[in-house]
Amino acid sequence: MIRQIFAKPSEGGSTPRREVVMVEEQLSPEELAAFHAQGERFERNSDWLDAHASEVYAQHRGKYICVAACELFVADTPLEAIALARAAHPEDDGRLLRYIPKEKRICIYAH
Amino acid sequence: MLISGHWRVCEDGGVRPVVSGRVLAADGSWREVHFLVDTGADRTVFSAEVLVDLGLAASGSPVQLSGVGGQAASVPVDTSIRLQREDGTAVAFHGGFDAFTDQDALDMSVLGRNILNLFAAIVDRPRDVVCLIGQRHQYVIQTL
Repeated sequence: MIRQIFAKPSEGGSTPRREVVMVEEQLSPEELAAFHAQGERFERNSDWLDAHASEVYAQHRGKYICVAACELFVADTPLEAIALARAAHPEDDGRLLRYIPKEKRICIYAH
Repeated sequence: MLISGHWRVCEDGGVRPVVSGRVLAADGSWREVHFLVDTGADRTVFSAEVLVDLGLAASGSPVQLSGVGGQAASVPVDTSIRLQREDGTAVAFHGGFDAFTDQDALDMSVLGRNILNLFAAIVDRPRDVVCLIGQRHQYVIQTL
């Protein structure tokens, strides 16, 4: 569960209306091919992480991980993890970035 | 319209319903993100590491979002989310979203009801189905 808290007008708050508009996109064949290729790269990285989940999560708690070209990069900050992945695999635009909480916890979303 | 997701093993060993999407970053590129399908979330929210990766600037004042664990600070961001349809084409959602700034606030970005309300959401663990349907697609509940 995630619920937005609105400040009362008397406290200087206002109720923001933030609309989301859905648009059916007409991508060119080239754009569509790139769209699918990026998705396939991401799913490959995601599948790799799923296959190595127990060892990766156990060894790198409290760290940021980035998976690119099915290779794992670990750092203390997200930008460092991304930089490592980019340096090694600049061609992979389907990288997967994740933070591994310090402690394993039961999640009742949102936080 | 049919948008397919899947059940994914998360870091705590839990298996959760996710949809893969792409989010427009500040540099004009698209970043792949897993979204938890969260019908309890009022809004679609990016996790803190995704916000860093996107490089987006806040489009307004910080907003407090509350969940079971209490309140956490977030910032509004304007961007677009692309999801892939069953025929391979894309559908985009443009507008204002939110992003947590505290890494511990949220493990995974969530797809909330400001997008989910545009669809019927099916989250069926026994049959291994996660999907969003609308327009020409529909579902039928049958007694077998």
